[in-house]
Amino acid sequence: MKSFAPVAIAIVVLASLQVLTSGSQYFVYLSLLVGVNVVLAVSLNVINGMTGQFSIGHAGFMAVGAFSSALMSQTLNEYRLGFLPEAVEHQLFFVISLVVGGVLAGGFGFLVGLPSLRLRGDYLAIVTLGFGEIILVVVRNTPTLGGALGLSGTPQHTSFFMVWFTVFIVVLFARRLLASPHGRNLVAIREDEVAAEAMGVDTTSYKVRSFVVSSFFAGVAGGLFSHFQSIITPGDSFSFVKSMEIVVMIVAGGLGSTTGAVVAAVVLTLLPEAMRALFITIGGDNASLAQSIDQLRKPIFGVLLVVMMLTRPQGLFGTHEIWDLLKRKKGAAS
Amino acid sequence: MYEFIQHVINGLAAGTIYALVALGYTMVYGVLKLINFAHGDVMMLGVYVGYAVAFLLGREHLGTISGALLVFAVSLTACAAFGFFIERFAYRPLRDKPRLTSLITAIGISFALSYGFQLDLAVSVGGHSITLLPGAASRRFPAIITPTEWAVLGDNDVIIWNWQVISFVIALTLMGGLQYLVFRTRFGKAMRAVSHDHRVAGLLGIPVDTIIAGTFMLGSALAAGAGILYAIKDKSIQPLMGVMVGLKAFVAAVIGGIGNLPGAVVGALLLGLCEEFIVGYTASSWRDAVAFGFLIVVLLVRPEGLFGRAQAEKV
Amino acid sequence: MSEPLLHARKVSIRFGGLKALSEFDLEIHKGDLKGLIGPNGAGKTTAFNVLTGVYLPSEGEIFVGGQKVNGRRPHQINRLGLARTFQNIRLFKQLTVLDNVRIAVLADRTPLFDRPRVEALRRGNGPSRALGSVMDALDNYRDWWRALLRTPAYLREEEGIEQRARELLEVMGLSHRVDELAKNLPYGEQRRLEISRALGTRPRVLLLDEPAAGMNTREKADLMVLIRELRSRFELGILVIEHDMKLVMGICEHLTVLDHGETISRGEPAAVRADPKVIEAYLGEAPAHG
Repeated sequence: MKSFAPVAIAIVVLASLQVLTSGSQYFVYLSLLVGVNVVLAVSLNVINGMTGQFSIGHAGFMAVGAFSSALMSQTLNEYRLGFLPEAVEHQLFFVISLVVGGVLAGGFGFLVGLPSLRLRGDYLAIVTLGFGEIILVVVRNTPTLGGALGLSGTPQHTSFFMVWFTVFIVVLFARRLLASPHGRNLVAIREDEVAAEAMGVDTTSYKVRSFVVSSFFAGVAGGLFSHFQSIITPGDSFSFVKSMEIVVMIVAGGLGSTTGAVVAAVVLTLLPEAMRALFITIGGDNASLAQSIDQLRKPIFGVLLVVMMLTRPQGLFGTHEIWDLLKRKKGAAS
Repeated sequence: MYEFIQHVINGLAAGTIYALVALGYTMVYGVLKLINFAHGDVMMLGVYVGYAVAFLLGREHLGTISGALLVFAVSLTACAAFGFFIERFAYRPLRDKPRLTSLITAIGISFALSYGFQLDLAVSVGGHSITLLPGAASRRFPAIITPTEWAVLGDNDVIIWNWQVISFVIALTLMGGLQYLVFRTRFGKAMRAVSHDHRVAGLLGIPVDTIIAGTFMLGSALAAGAGILYAIKDKSIQPLMGVMVGLKAFVAAVIGGIGNLPGAVVGALLLGLCEEFIVGYTASSWRDAVAFGFLIVVLLVRPEGLFGRAQAEKV
Repeated sequence: MSEPLLHARKVSIRFGGLKALSEFDLEIHKGDLKGLIGPNGAGKTTAFNVLTGVYLPSEGEIFVGGQKVNGRRPHQINRLGLARTFQNIRLFKQLTVLDNVRIAVLADRTPLFDRPRVEALRRGNGPSRALGSVMDALDNYRDWWRALLRTPAYLREEEGIEQRARELLEVMGLSHRVDELAKNLPYGEQRRLEISRALGTRPRVLLLDEPAAGMNTREKADLMVLIRELRSRFELGILVIEHDMKLVMGICEHLTVLDHGETISRGEPAAVRADPKVIEAYLGEAPAHG
């Protein structure tokens, strides 16, 4: 039961943090944004970093999760179980919706993963991108999902605890996966697909599986996202731009490093906010300045990618993990 | 029947634009094995250069042949220069790194260009305000070729515009010209050698850097030309215009078999027709799904594209 | 004589119009140490690629462990007991030496369903194939969960894997390199690591593609002795591709000589050496070697 200990600790810590931070709405909102991005980055890292496939349509899976779980939640909200207190019931429904969103996204991951059996590198990238675009077009043309106007009225169930507990789970998942034979097989595919196949690794199945689990978590992230937005539209929050932001995060953090993905997701989400806050302090409530920060973010992301590739293509952490470094230190000390 | 014919014409016209962009795409890919994600944004850059030139020329030169040629010439040159620039400083240092590195770089350049152009940036010099970055708002592209109905069938049921014919002829001519360049000239021979293996080509005394830079410049110039034709057709331009056109052109190139010039043109025309028909008979909001749906089907059924040749991986 | 572990019968492969390998015959039994030689471009590596499932043979049949493997994927063929190394060394470069071998080592675990039965189902068609795939997926997902929850049985397996990997590295004389990244190993050790990795899959037949390439004479001699040891220690059948004829003459008991995809000679080393066709092929093609 040692393996459950971290989960118990995380629950206690996160619950207390939830209580402690509940005073500051701004902080909570930011932490939700950061958390969702961390989940997205860590999960995308499973495909792009560990397995070495290149998906640039992660926002598409997020969209699947966001819209389906929002719809699920809205439907469930019309029912009452009765025997549970309302708050508990809400959370139960919320978890069900998240799982539904995740599973659906995972199913789509399976569908998109299938072509990866035959495609490599850049072709796969285009297919994932195309998939993301198709999803948005489908949403735009589906009245049940709100069409182009967007879907509103989703119960606002997302809490600090739920987001960061998901973060905890996805990081734990990524870490244990990497330490397991399955993770090693994924990395083998990244390193040399032909050799992996020759050593008995069923590369096809493993690639599809990495897509499925990664999309599952992207779907859950989408579900978390849609439950703290008053309205979700098939636009910027799920577009190619969003996918690219996640790619920037994992590339900056170091493809293959979960630690890197977490750090980069936190920093890159907070950076524009911090800059905005800074400008407001300096220039007073200068709206145009704060707005231009938002506009600057995307071109800066682009330049950042180029500079990163030219100067430090392995990213911040390479493929290293913080826990490996700690372990090594411990080993050296003892 | 007229409706059908009109759809065919519109589809071919749209496909022509994709074809021009796809030719550049496929050429660069053929030589470098790099999806130059920024290709569509180079096209956008060309359009804005053309816009600036037309603006400076003034109203009286619009619609004249010399005016139009000047717009094309400046825009093509500017984009060729820009193509040289990004190849030299962004792609060349990464040539021997994993391909993913170049791909990420290309995406980065695309991002920086398309969103950089959305910023408003103007400086004032001597009382004149000079726009450096155009901003996100869409602008009206001046009619550098006066649109004329070239042929009309029935009672205004089918209209063919002069720019449609011009684009189509240009696309076919370019395809022929490029095919000639690649298979009949020394430069083309060198291109094919570099495409096969640039290290060995270098050892054999082929100036690899020059060839790749040349290909890039040519591809970028093509993109600029295509962009201006596109702008003439669409009339409105904005910084994100290149992204979707670029992607679709890439899709067209893959459908035709990437690296194959006639394949790119055929793929683009097919894509244009497909889009036009689906949009014409359903709703325009489905347009962007068509290309990618088409792509996925082609890749699943025939990953090497319609005209491509399957390649076994060397072990 | 017993059923051969690896049996190729009149195997040919064509690329476009070019016949890269034609009517290739081969039998490897337990304890065999055979050599596949020939000048550059003779089709030796192509033969390996066909045998291991990288290429689909145009004609002929290949049996591994008594099962026909035409059209099977390389990982399936590997699981039937055929492992290989690569001419141009394909290690998992960014991983440690230990991880390289661990990836190859199969866990000693009890699967949810009987493996051969699942495999047999998957080879069928229609419903039985679907059932096989579902069973395989279920088994795998159970395995993922065990790994994620770190069940005691899983942890035991992990220990077993590591132990076996370390043993193999010890045999190959790489114990001192366990935690280093594969890419940082010197050339000769990389070749030996590739062999350890191949052994990790518990093969019954081992295909070595120019294992001594790039080594000096002394290293080559050591390696040849080691290969002989491996054969008896792991009860293997071994097929070695070698470019350098003198070298294989010393250790192989049987040689097949390829030239332009054709088998031009086969038999005992001494007989092969005397074969005028072989002499001609070598002298005509590459007088520098030989």
